[in-house]
Parts: sequence; C-alpha cells; structure tokens
Amino acid sequence: MTMPFTHADWAAIVPVSVVAVAALLVLLADFFVSGERGRYVSIVIALIGLGVSATLAAKQFGHNHDAFFGGFMTGGFTTVFEEIVLLAAAGSVILYANSGAAQRVAGTIAIMLWSACGAMLMAGAANLMMIFLGLELLSLGLYALCAAADRRTARESALKYLILSSTATGFLLFGMALLFGATGSVRLADLVTPMLIYNPIYWMGAGMLMVGLLFKLSMVPFHSWTPDVFEGAPLPVTAFMSVATKAATLAVFARFIYAALPLGVGDRLLIPVWIVVGISMVAGNVGMLAQTNLKRLLGYSGIAQVGYILVALAGSTPLGLRYALYYLTAYALMNLGAFAVASAISGEGEEGAEMRTYRGLAYRRPWLAAGMTVFLLALAGLPPTAGFLGKILILASSAANGYIWLGALLIIGTAISLYAYAKVVRVMYSREEAPAGHEVRPYVPLAWASAALCAVAVVVMAFYPLTPSNILPLVR
Amino acid sequence: MSLVLVTILLPIVSGVLLFALPRTSETAARAIGTLVAAATVVTTLVAGESQWSFHWLSRPFTAAFHFGATPISFWLALLLAICTACAIAATRVSRTRDMVALILLLEGAMMGLFLARDLLVFALCWDLMLIPVFFALVGWGEHPATAWRYLIYNFAGGLTLLLATAAFGVIYGSTDVIGRSAAPFAGGWAEWIYAGFAFAFLVKTPVWPLHTWMPPTYSGLPSPMVSVVSAVQSKAGLYGFIAIALALLPAYVHAFALPLIILGAISLVYGAVVALVQNDAKRVVAYSSLSHLGLIVIAVASGNPLALKGALVYIVAHGLFSAALFIVLGYVEEREDTRSLSRLGGLGWRNPRLAGALCVAALAALGLPGLAGFAGELIILIGVYQAGYVWAVIVALIAIVAASAYMLRLYQDIMNGPPDDDVPVRPDLSWREALAVAPLLAALVAVGVYPAPLLGAHAAPVVTTSSRTP
Repeated sequence: MTMPFTHADWAAIVPVSVVAVAALLVLLADFFVSGERGRYVSIVIALIGLGVSATLAAKQFGHNHDAFFGGFMTGGFTTVFEEIVLLAAAGSVILYANSGAAQRVAGTIAIMLWSACGAMLMAGAANLMMIFLGLELLSLGLYALCAAADRRTARESALKYLILSSTATGFLLFGMALLFGATGSVRLADLVTPMLIYNPIYWMGAGMLMVGLLFKLSMVPFHSWTPDVFEGAPLPVTAFMSVATKAATLAVFARFIYAALPLGVGDRLLIPVWIVVGISMVAGNVGMLAQTNLKRLLGYSGIAQVGYILVALAGSTPLGLRYALYYLTAYALMNLGAFAVASAISGEGEEGAEMRTYRGLAYRRPWLAAGMTVFLLALAGLPPTAGFLGKILILASSAANGYIWLGALLIIGTAISLYAYAKVVRVMYSREEAPAGHEVRPYVPLAWASAALCAVAVVVMAFYPLTPSNILPLVR
Repeated sequence: MSLVLVTILLPIVSGVLLFALPRTSETAARAIGTLVAAATVVTTLVAGESQWSFHWLSRPFTAAFHFGATPISFWLALLLAICTACAIAATRVSRTRDMVALILLLEGAMMGLFLARDLLVFALCWDLMLIPVFFALVGWGEHPATAWRYLIYNFAGGLTLLLATAAFGVIYGSTDVIGRSAAPFAGGWAEWIYAGFAFAFLVKTPVWPLHTWMPPTYSGLPSPMVSVVSAVQSKAGLYGFIAIALALLPAYVHAFALPLIILGAISLVYGAVVALVQNDAKRVVAYSSLSHLGLIVIAVASGNPLALKGALVYIVAHGLFSAALFIVLGYVEEREDTRSLSRLGGLGWRNPRLAGALCVAALAALGLPGLAGFAGELIILIGVYQAGYVWAVIVALIAIVAASAYMLRLYQDIMNGPPDDDVPVRPDLSWREALAVAPLLAALVAVGVYPAPLLGAHAAPVVTTSSRTP
C-alpha cells in the first residue's frame, strides 16, 4: 500500500510542525524549571521555535507547491502570511515576561503557539476543510487564553468570544457546506466554474462565507464583540488576537476573492463588502473617541485598520495585494509595539491599559513615551512612519482601481482617528503630574527590546517600501 | 553627502540628540541650537540650487526623496534658517532644552518641505511639521483645546493634500515634479486634485473662514516657537500655491481666481478690523498676520507676474517682521508676565532698546517706505491693479491704513505713556536678547532698500504660468 501523501506534502507544513513541537518543548521544560526562571525559559524556547519556523518558512518563498491534494499551498503568499503570524506570536509571547502568574506561563505560551499553528494553516489553506481546520485550531486556543487571568472580565471576555465566535463559525461552516453542495468540491480552485453564477445555492454559500469572514475581521455590523473581548483578555492575548487572528482571516479572505470567484461574481458579491468596509473605517474610528482603555481603543482601531487593508484589496489587483501586505506588516509592528509599551508599564495586578497609567509617562519614562508616540502616530498615518506610506499606497490603489470613494472614506476615518490617538499622546506629555501610586516600574528588558525593534522597523519601513512581488498564484 | 541633505538632516538629528543632553543645561541647549540653525543658514547659502535624490517608490507611481532649492524656495529656506536661529537665540522658557529641540525638529521638517522637489515628499513634510507644534501646544500651551484645534484643522488639510497627491501620482505617473518645466496637468480629476491642494494650502495660510485655529495657536505657543510658525510655517501654503498649484494646474488657479481673491480680501479686512480691538498683544499680531497673508493670497491668485514677484518679497518681509514682533513681544511678556495691552504701558522710558526693536518691527509691518513691508505691498498692489482687480486694490489700501492704526496702537500701549506703577521695572534688553533680534531688523532694512535679488527669483517660472498678463 502506498502512502497517500508524498514527502513534499509533509515538507510543506514543516514550519507549522516546528511551532507545534516548540509548544511541547515549552511544556516539557516546565517540569524541570519553575518560578520566575521558568517564565524566561518558556519564552526563550518559544522564541527559538518561532525563529526556526520563520527561517524554514522563508525558504518556501517562491516554491509553489500544492500539498495534501490542494489542502495547503506553499508559495510567496503563504510564506508572507506565515511570517506575519510568527511575528505576532513572537511579539505576544515576549509580553509574558511581565504578565500572568509565573506557574501558568508555560501552559499559556504553549496554547498560544498551537493557536499560531492554526493561523499558519489558514495562511496556506487552499480548500474549505483546511480553512475550517485552521480556524478552529486558532479559535479553540484563544478561548482558553482569554480566560487565563484571575479576573471576572477575563472570563466574561472568554465566554463572549466563545459564543460570538461560534456564531461566526456557524455562518462560515454553513456557507462552506452550501459551496460544497453547489460545486461538489472543497477545493478553492474548483469554485471558479463560470456556470456557478446561475446557481442560487452558490450565492447563498458565498454570502454566508463572507459574513463569517467579516465577523472574524470584526467589520461593522459584526464588530461589537471586539472591544469587550480585547479589554477582558490578558495583555499578550489581546496583542496576539489583534494581529494574528486578523492576519490569518485576511489571508483566507484575500485568497477567496482573488482566486476563488467565478468571472462576474466579484462585482456583485463584493459591493456590499466594500460598503461594509467603508462604514467600518468611519465607525471604528468614531468608536475610538470615547475610550479610556488602551485595549478597547486598539480594539476599535483594529476595526478601522483592517478596513484600510481591505481597501487595498478592492479591485483584486496584484499590486493591491502587495500594498495590503505592506500595510498589514506595518500594522502588526505598530500594534505589537504599542502592546509592548503597555506591558512595560504594567505592574502587579494592573495592566498598562488604563489611560490614567499613561498620565505624565513622558516625565517618568521618556523613551517608552517616545516609542508609544511613534506607534500611535503610525496608526494615525503621520510621517515619518510606515503608516504614512501605507496610507499613500492604499489611496493610490483605490484611485487607480476606481474605488476613490473608499479612499475618501479612509481619509474621513483617518481624520477622526487622529483625535483619539493624539489624546493618548497628550495624556503622556501634558504637564499634569501623574497621580499618586504610579511609581516608576522596573525595567522589563524583553518588552523594552520588543518596543524598540518595532519602533525602528516602523520608521525604517517608511523609507524602504519592501513589498513582496512573488506572491501569486494563490491556488492551482 | 550633499549639502542639501545636510541642511535638512542637521536640524533633525541635532534636535533628536538634544534630548540626550541633561534637562538642566539650558544655556548649552540654546547655544547648540543657535549654532546648528546658523550652520543651516550657511549650508543653505552654499548649497544654492544643487540637488540630491534617492529612489523611493516605483509603483504605483515613481517618487523619490528629491531635494534641492528652486529660485523661489531658496529664499524661503534662507528665511526659515535665519528666523530659526534668531528664535532659538531668544528662547527662554521653562524646559528650554525641549523647546529648542522641538524648534530644531520643526526647522528640519519645514526645510524638507521647501526643498522637496517631489510632491509626495512635500506631503510627507507637510504632515511632519504638525508634530513639533502639537507637542509645543501640549507641553507649553495655555489651553488643551488649542492643541486639538491646530492638529485637527491642519491634519484635515494634510489629508486632502495626501489624497490629491495620490490621485495626481496615479494619473501623472510620477510625483517628482516640483520645479520642473513640465507640461501643465489636465485630466478628468484635475479640478478635484486642485481642490484638495487648495484646501490644504488655504487652511495652512490661513484665510477666512478657515482661520479659527490660528489666533489661539499663535497666542498659546511660546514666543520663540510662534515666531517660527508665523514667520515661515504660514508660508507653506502660499509656497504650495506658487510652486505646485500655479506650476502644475495653472488653468484651474486662473479659473477659480475670483473666489480666492474674494477670500483673500475678506481675510485682509477682517484681520485688520479684529486686530484693532484685541487686548492680547500676540493676538493683535496674529490677526495682522491674517490680514497681511490675505494680501499675498490676492497677489498669487491674480496671476500677474509682477504681483507674484511682489508676493515673494512680501512673503519674506512678513516672515522677518512677524518673527521680530513675536520675539520682542516674548521679551515683553518675559519681563512683565502679561500680554494684556490694557495693563502694559510706559515701558519705553526704562527700556529704550526694547522699544527701538518693537518700533522698527511695527513700522515694517505697517508698511513704512524704506522697510521691507512697503516694497512688497507696493509691488503687489501695482501687479494686482495691472491684472484688472481694481476693487481688490482699493480694499487692500483701506486695510493698509488700518494696519497703521493697529500697529501704532500696539506700540503705544506697550511703550508709551507714563510708567505704570502696577508693572514692575525690569532691565533693558541684554546683549543676547538684542543680538537675537538684530539680524531680523537688519534684514528688514536690507530688503526694504534693495529687494532686487528677490525680484529676480521669479523670472523663470512666471513665464510659463501666467496667462493673464495685460
């Protein structure tokens, strides 16, 4: 009897396996080292695993291989998304240096790494089964991670995420079932049959799939869970969710609209999507205005930022995909950096999320305040940061593809968002003295290093607009 | 490394490095800042019109970090460098080190703006120069709402500029267009692109009714910072009109000239009238700025070559005298702890040097012949008259008469009259303070007597852009 899968098939998911094995090693190491030292051992093992995986994934760049009968496709697109997920995982794992009880860190890091495996599978998923498998692996881990803090809000966050995320998964799964019913195949490549345009079952399936994905991307009107879940979850988990979940879902969304839509469907199916995106860019930014909690603020900000990325995809041009990847990378760095600063000023039983923690930060910790300023200005799209160039590229893409109205909404949303971002900057730099009880926190070298690297990267990216050119095709 | 790049990077790098200096070493910070700004005066002069370029984008349109002075931007860069050097030398506020660093960062951003030969770099520097001013308003301002108003207004302008730049780049294929004698741009979106540019430029200048951010910003900022903002940052919009709108979209500037001239005329009169009744000395100068810049907007919109030459002279003149006015008013406020005209009075008896400095600056502002303001106003008025807008000239003349009234009132209320017992007596200008303002006053006289070099600057671009020559 021959093996159904070849060696090349297994090679395709080696980067994913490395992360999964690293998670096992983290758990194993926890038997031998415990306490505060165990915390750092877990983080170091996880970072090494993520680094090895990133190296191996980079080697697959440009090698288009259709593994597992069209289940997982390696190549430029998959590699880039895998790298972004790995970056998000590394940036979030580092935050455990100053978060959570020491005895629980190894377990939570392991679950986070397995969640990252799910996100990486979604990055390369080229059939409906693999999309669902990756999504569930990602989400199951996140439910546990959200609850992993001794606070009522954490359990509230986990329960809310479980219920709403399951609803979204329901939509997604039902949509997939209908698509399978319409085509008789789970491969994305088989969904492009021209005759499908006359099949109502196809339209229902594609529509429900879209709803599920928009739910996961927290686009209006499916966005209200995001700030609550972000607020309640532990800081590293919020960081991970704000980048990795969105990146993985964006990968699925991009692959679907670029490679799995029959001719003529895109125009009709996607118009409501672009309208939703336009509303999200404004609503997310308006939602930010009243927030006094950094995690909620970044939750709303993420709604709008993902909207910006989707604007680049409008028109489904290869160039637009490259700009989306550029902005996604920049967004990942900005968010991870902002959370690293928040982690660096966290203390016992208090996360650096409340706005009052930031009062007068510039006079206690000038470098951290400067770093936070860079990230917030980048999110607002001010120079000299990658956020500025990313916005320009997206605006140009929207103008070139005939979606200038989305560009105009992006501009309006950005104008609103500046107030919310700059409010944090003002709190840090205003002369009001910090309230009593906010003594200077000790240095957290890992969080500081992470913030510094992100800040440098965000500025440097503005001058070297590296966008991967070798990312197509998305399916075979 | 090219000298052009040094001119831009030197203030930025030194501004960042200043934060490494101990917070208490104020004299050292001021000395370093003054030296750096003085060095940029030298590099601007030596660099002349040399250029430097570094590839940035090739898709969706080509863009490059392309810097180099044009005949017009050379004078603006020089004005910026001189005003910055004087402003830093005059700085004495709480947390002097941070203020000097912010002024240097502002200089770097604006230097990039004026020397940019690429539209996208221009838009980048446009947004960049908001940040130091915002920080100054947050850290030193009197009211938090001021910082918001400044930021939101100008960022909105920056975003329309950005959208217009992106659309321009996509249609034209390149943004590396400033200072090139390229064919004028036309196309389906050209009106909207012009509207995006014009909105940004009008907010920044500002003109009525987009000016409401300006008086609180000018009175809220510490005087060294506001002298740079009022002298040079307000010229960014006018420079944009001359170097970008007139050069790339001349047909649309001419087509929409009348609305611009009307807005300019309203600003001219409105600013003058409001300046007459202000009690805050800095607000008098702020509203006078609104009035003077309205005149330059009229000159630019008229499209007459002579008026454009006058506009450049008046841009430089206004930069010099408004920087000098704000620096001197800063000295007054430092001494007497108030800017209220009703409380001040009689300073001239004990502070002759202070009075002399304010006198020269105020006379230049009201357009006394022999000083720079007069040269600019006269040439503009002749040019606008030639262009056929006689009513605008008459309106401007009325406002210029009002300028004498509010400027003399400013001087009289601070310097003349019996010494007020309520106001403590402080020493006259020290050598440092006098030297900080002296270059500006000397330049006012020099430009007033011999404006020829500035008039020559316009020769090249005007030929291609004017179509209303009589």
